[in-house]
Amino acid sequence: MGRYLLTILILLPAAGALAVAGHALAPYKRETHYRLVALAFSAATFLLSLLLLGGDSAAPGFRFEQDVNWIGAIGAHYHVGVDGISLWLVLLTTLLVPIAILSSWNAVEKKPAAFYAFLLALEAAMIGVFVSLDLLVFYLFFEASLVPMFFLIGVWGGERRVYASVKFFIYTAVGSLLMLAAIIALWSYFDTFDYPTILRALAEGVPYSPRVEFLLFFAFAVAFCIKVPVWPLHTWLPDAHTEAPTAGSVILAGVLLKMGTYGLLRFNFALFPESARRFAAFFIVLAVVGIIYGALVAMVQPDVKRLVAYSSVSHMGFIMLGLFSFTEEGMQGALYQMLNHGVSTGALFLIVGMIYERRHTRQIADFGGLAKPMPWFATFFVIASLSSVGLPLLNGFVGEFLIMLGMWTSRVDFAGWMNPRVVTMIAGTGVIWAAVYMLWMLQRVLFGRVRHPANARLRDLSAREVGLLLPLLALMLYMGVYPRPFLGRSEGAVRVVRERVTNSIGGGTARLESKSELKQ
Amino acid sequence: MNPSLALQALPLVSPDVDMRLLLPELIVSIAGVLVMLADAFTRKIGRRWLTGGLALAGLGAAAAACFALWALLLFATVGMMLMASGGDLVIIFLGLELLSIATYVMAGFRRTDLRSNESSMKYFILGSFSSAFLLYGIALVYGGTVTDAGGAGTTNLREIALRVGEGPYPVLLYAGAAMLIVGFGFKIATAPFHVWTPDVYEGAPTPVTAFMAAGPKAAGFAGFMSVFLVAFPSVAGNAGAVQLHEAWLNTLVVIAILTMTVGNLAALVQSNVKRMLAYSSIAHAGYALVGFVAAGAAGDAGKQQEATGAVVFYLLAYAVMNLGAFAVVTLIARGGDRRTEIEDYHGIGFSAPALSAALTLFMLSLLGVPLTAGFMGKVLVFRAALGQTEQGPQYAWLVVAAVVNTAVSAYYYLRLVIVMFFRERMSAWAAPRVTASLALALALTAAGVLYLGIFPGRLIDALRVAETSVGRLK
Repeated sequence: MGRYLLTILILLPAAGALAVAGHALAPYKRETHYRLVALAFSAATFLLSLLLLGGDSAAPGFRFEQDVNWIGAIGAHYHVGVDGISLWLVLLTTLLVPIAILSSWNAVEKKPAAFYAFLLALEAAMIGVFVSLDLLVFYLFFEASLVPMFFLIGVWGGERRVYASVKFFIYTAVGSLLMLAAIIALWSYFDTFDYPTILRALAEGVPYSPRVEFLLFFAFAVAFCIKVPVWPLHTWLPDAHTEAPTAGSVILAGVLLKMGTYGLLRFNFALFPESARRFAAFFIVLAVVGIIYGALVAMVQPDVKRLVAYSSVSHMGFIMLGLFSFTEEGMQGALYQMLNHGVSTGALFLIVGMIYERRHTRQIADFGGLAKPMPWFATFFVIASLSSVGLPLLNGFVGEFLIMLGMWTSRVDFAGWMNPRVVTMIAGTGVIWAAVYMLWMLQRVLFGRVRHPANARLRDLSAREVGLLLPLLALMLYMGVYPRPFLGRSEGAVRVVRERVTNSIGGGTARLESKSELKQ
Repeated sequence: MNPSLALQALPLVSPDVDMRLLLPELIVSIAGVLVMLADAFTRKIGRRWLTGGLALAGLGAAAAACFALWALLLFATVGMMLMASGGDLVIIFLGLELLSIATYVMAGFRRTDLRSNESSMKYFILGSFSSAFLLYGIALVYGGTVTDAGGAGTTNLREIALRVGEGPYPVLLYAGAAMLIVGFGFKIATAPFHVWTPDVYEGAPTPVTAFMAAGPKAAGFAGFMSVFLVAFPSVAGNAGAVQLHEAWLNTLVVIAILTMTVGNLAALVQSNVKRMLAYSSIAHAGYALVGFVAAGAAGDAGKQQEATGAVVFYLLAYAVMNLGAFAVVTLIARGGDRRTEIEDYHGIGFSAPALSAALTLFMLSLLGVPLTAGFMGKVLVFRAALGQTEQGPQYAWLVVAAVVNTAVSAYYYLRLVIVMFFRERMSAWAAPRVTASLALALALTAAGVLYLGIFPGRLIDALRVAETSVGRLK
């Protein structure tokens, strides 16, 4: 059973998608059945994925591995496995999809069968991305996740949905195609697509010059940086997030963005450590720019959803900062913040979706004083926002603190023109900006007197809506107070990647021996 | 399958089954059958359906019947087979002419439609012009292979290879090779010899277009590869041969990039679906040429085999997905090709879900999304082009150009998908009735696309296993 668990996790949502589609063709169908079938399959997937937590989950290697020959002629295997990093991302995925399905319970006006089928197909692709250990299979799932998202935005999205979906698809596909060229180049060097095999071969000797390594690193990095998104490759995100239906936004922000940072961690750092070290400073600068830029632009948005979208750019900048600090705290913090962002921004998009369902507008100017008619809504909104800002006792604080500590103690070489501590201080102002735009938005939307008569008689959250937000809020509190179960399981895997990049061996606060190690 | 000519001393086709030479013929046969399936019951002129059924039941009977389309299709198929398996320039030319003439007439088959007449006329004139180039090229090669001892030249591919760099008139070989590139380039519609393609594809009846996009292209590629890989290889120690090899290889590289770029950029601005698919087929010829270049530049027999296998796989994948796309276009266009503009596709997505899903699958395959045949073809071709040498990946920049072009092509392939699903329909539209034969054609092509995309292993192995005549030459 252990060997097949990951394949089951991938196939179960796919089977669910087929089941929903098949149900649509059946003569006895009823519109309300699709969401039940979809919810059943996604809930089953979530429960099964909890099995991944069992066993020796803190071990640094890959568990639940399955390796089946797929196309022997070109050396492509269907090789899947989880380690401490992918374990949490898979769980994040399987948690967010049923919640997204619940959030769309009454919101899908047309073709609900296709909607739920695409959502489940997307889940299968996302899980596949996080568990694949073969480069071709990874690429396959990576691209496969684009098509359902493309349809979800394009058919069920807002007014500018066609523009947003096309931009999303082409922008992301361009990056991935460059990555495909790099994957095939790697194949021609190592005659295999298998990730662990390539790692072992690299440990024995690098068969290409540093210049070639840089080109490969760059190709992979472009694909992932578009996905993260790193400033200035972020322009697809605000449109895609804003125009997508609520479930689409939740999945997009909660999971799809993490594919970029996961890819950087898993592939760029481990396969091309030299280039990663050499260009860390560059990415750190981009990350800080992203943090500040995202926050400043979020501040001036009149649309709530767009504001949350830009806040995503800012938060992902923090994650990039943590990743490229190459310290244990920084990288662990980055992984933790990936999970946090999924939970809190997912919750924020859900909440925005709820108010949109009631008022059919997302403009801040149309709201005001909502706390009076909808106290529960206001409570959840405030908690989720504060989690996003990074208030202590909530999850955001743990991640941001670890990242900033990691960056402060980082030994990344800036060639003298910048100091990691200065970088940390600048990035730290991002926390302040986050508080500014979030609190100001909360004040304008929730507090004060009710300015529009339409807002006075709004329904507060229903039991379903409370039910789907509660797990996320509980997680926010739990992850903020007791991060040990999460960090303990990811520690080993993160250390393995960190050691590859820094070539150091040692405990949690091991440092690079000297700055000259970085300059090659 | 073994063309035995009195002149040749060495049989070109090896006794064991050579998949790579056989596959183009399989492709053209399948193309022919699929087209017949698609067209058999959709025409309303006369009692065509009766003969269509006869043709399907017994292929030979159709040639004798008075309904010419099936006879023409069979002639064309024979021509393609000759082209693909020919071991001599004359045989290849014979096949090309047989194919071309049959196709000229098929293109103009809708006699009362002005566009069909125009298509046939253009194709005939331009095609004859290029055949003249090809023939002149053959003649020049014949002259260039005259031996020093005063012996006659040769058109046998093997013999030509043995005589390159030895004869007294080497410049004739260069000129001949150039002419051959022009002739073949026209047939497979590469830039700058592609100009006929959009007009001819748009004007011809859609099933004929489907045939033209798949069969002759594959056969043309097979003939092209046969001639250049066998007759003009790079022979170590023979300076003349090496130089000639470099020359045609570099020419092909330029043609490949030009083709991809021209095809993609032009397709971006098309509003007619058939024209768009015509330009897309030009672009795909460009991608296949990347594999051809890799085969030409291959260092050893194994790599060359891999590269030619990749090109053949790509052609098969391309044929399957193109035929499927054209089958759907045929259906939506209704009789007489009345509705082939992109506006005609607005909002039909959910009214005809099976058709739209099939068209989406073919568009995604043409684009190269994973799990489809198009993706697997591109991976194989890129792998061949990035084949490792000591200096690093060869032709890496060629692959990058192909990748950028693929990204650009996403726009116009997705455009159909977008208008089908994301836009509303202005006028009334009833889903066309899908006949059993067309449904079968669609099912076969869709299954083929998915099969080649997910389980290509057996086919790739088959393409590798057979020892090739190309390999034995070294």
